[in-house]
Amino acid sequence: MKNKVIPLLCFFLLCSHDMYVKMDTFFLEPNKKSVIDLYNGTFEKSENNIDRNRMLDASLLGNGTRYSISDDQWTEKDSITKLHFTTGSAGTWVAGVSTKPRNIEMDADAFNKYLKHDGVLDMLEYRRSNNLLKEDAVEKYSKHVKAIFQVGDKKTNDWSTALGYPIEFIPKSNPYEVNTGDTLQVQLIKDDKPLANQLVYADYKPAKDGHTHTNQEHTHNNENHSHDKASHFHDGKTHSHDDSTNANNEEHMHTSGQTLRTDDKGIVTLKLTADGIWYLRTINLVTTEEAGLTHESNWATLTFEVRHSHDDNDHAHTDKHEQADEMPSYFYWIGSILLIIILFFWFNHKK
Amino acid sequence: MKFKTSQLIVTTLLLCPALVLAHGVSNADQEILNNGGLFSYIYVGAKHMLTGYDHLLFLTGVIFYLNGFKDIITFISIFTIGHCITLIGATYLGVKADEHLIDAVIALSVFYKGFENLGGFKKLQIKSPNLLFMVFIFGLIHGFGLSTRLQSFDVGTNQFLAKIISFNIGVELGQIIALIPIVIIITQWKKRKSFEAFYKSANTYLIIAGIGLFIYQLYNYFGTP
Repeated sequence: MKNKVIPLLCFFLLCSHDMYVKMDTFFLEPNKKSVIDLYNGTFEKSENNIDRNRMLDASLLGNGTRYSISDDQWTEKDSITKLHFTTGSAGTWVAGVSTKPRNIEMDADAFNKYLKHDGVLDMLEYRRSNNLLKEDAVEKYSKHVKAIFQVGDKKTNDWSTALGYPIEFIPKSNPYEVNTGDTLQVQLIKDDKPLANQLVYADYKPAKDGHTHTNQEHTHNNENHSHDKASHFHDGKTHSHDDSTNANNEEHMHTSGQTLRTDDKGIVTLKLTADGIWYLRTINLVTTEEAGLTHESNWATLTFEVRHSHDDNDHAHTDKHEQADEMPSYFYWIGSILLIIILFFWFNHKK
Repeated sequence: MKFKTSQLIVTTLLLCPALVLAHGVSNADQEILNNGGLFSYIYVGAKHMLTGYDHLLFLTGVIFYLNGFKDIITFISIFTIGHCITLIGATYLGVKADEHLIDAVIALSVFYKGFENLGGFKKLQIKSPNLLFMVFIFGLIHGFGLSTRLQSFDVGTNQFLAKIISFNIGVELGQIIALIPIVIIITQWKKRKSFEAFYKSANTYLIIAGIGLFIYQLYNYFGTP
């Protein structure tokens, strides 16, 4: 029995659950009811809900005020934990969730695979170079996730305010004052200090009818918008880290998109190559002397949306699409009625 | 006057794609699905059918062609079986096509029906295909279009089949709600002298609408260079 349970358990531990704060759109109207999704799984698919008692902090920050989210604002649906809230006044807002630490035991093989699959390559290399690949691990982990969203048109500076999480991404400029084709610098802070030499992965979910910027060239691919990471989406794949009851054998990577490394100031420079919802993720995993543990990890993600500039004449065709989408219903109303009436009179007269 | 003006206006509105402001996926619908359980899928399915002018235009064309309530039931049932097969099957299996391309083919079905109703095949001295067979084929195509639409929603994985079936039930309810006034108007108008003009004008409109929708969908598919 034990022989069957251990491999199964290793399986569960093989891959991890990233956590993301997501929205259908990160551009909201002031004082309107909205929903924020908390995904625990991949960016595309949430595998399980997050219990409220697991949240150390859940906050909204806007116009200089931090609002604590109450338990009754959360619901659950299809393994997605949903936050229901009413947007406040216009500004650039921040939503954040920080979870309590949990411990997890892994045998050496499972731990190595997890490091590889989740892109914790520095620790994997450390184990390899120090001949530790056969060492089992007991890891304490916690997750600290943020989203920056824009309410109305007014830009405010809340994006630059640290939520005080053990680890967090903080942009160096407002993500809603940059556009597709621009770069964005983001600083990684751990325990209030810049975290240097840390691997960070950045990727995006393309917007429908969005734009792509590659080497300064502008392309438009309509709704079948493509980019070089089609294999990234993981719908239907299952993997587990903590609570999930799903697992399978598939090789699974969480490291698609841009691979970045923080500089001495803890800063990465992200190329915003396409319209869409962008996300950064990192796992800072270190050894620890804490009793009963071998490692401690802090996970961070940051999510925001990027759109193309409308100032550039080269981009005007998207507006044409919007007009094309809006025109027909109005056009049909009048055109169809007139057409049938005219045709009716014509055929009736002809008779 | 050989017809009632009010009758013409009501019919025009029923045929008019203008009633269909939201053929595509909207955030509002997604929000309804997120929060409303299986009934929300019935609602969105019915709404889609009621606002999905291309489906209704095709069915209107079919009804124009038929004589007798029994024929109407038979053909609508065949159409329903066809679209249920692809709506449930394609959604469950995750098979989909570009929504503009599939809508372009559906637009051609609208054109086809208007063309056939106006004796297009006869004028070309071509034997028209068996209508029951064609209605079944077009039912499959329309169902695939409905499936593509459903798949553009974030449906989730819980109760997946139940959600598809609920959406399908909604589509059928919407179809019934839309067809009742269409059948009544067409069958009642048949008794009037102005029916011939109404028949020609409505079916000419189907041809024009079919071509227009076809071009519109292709325009959206290829986009602006």
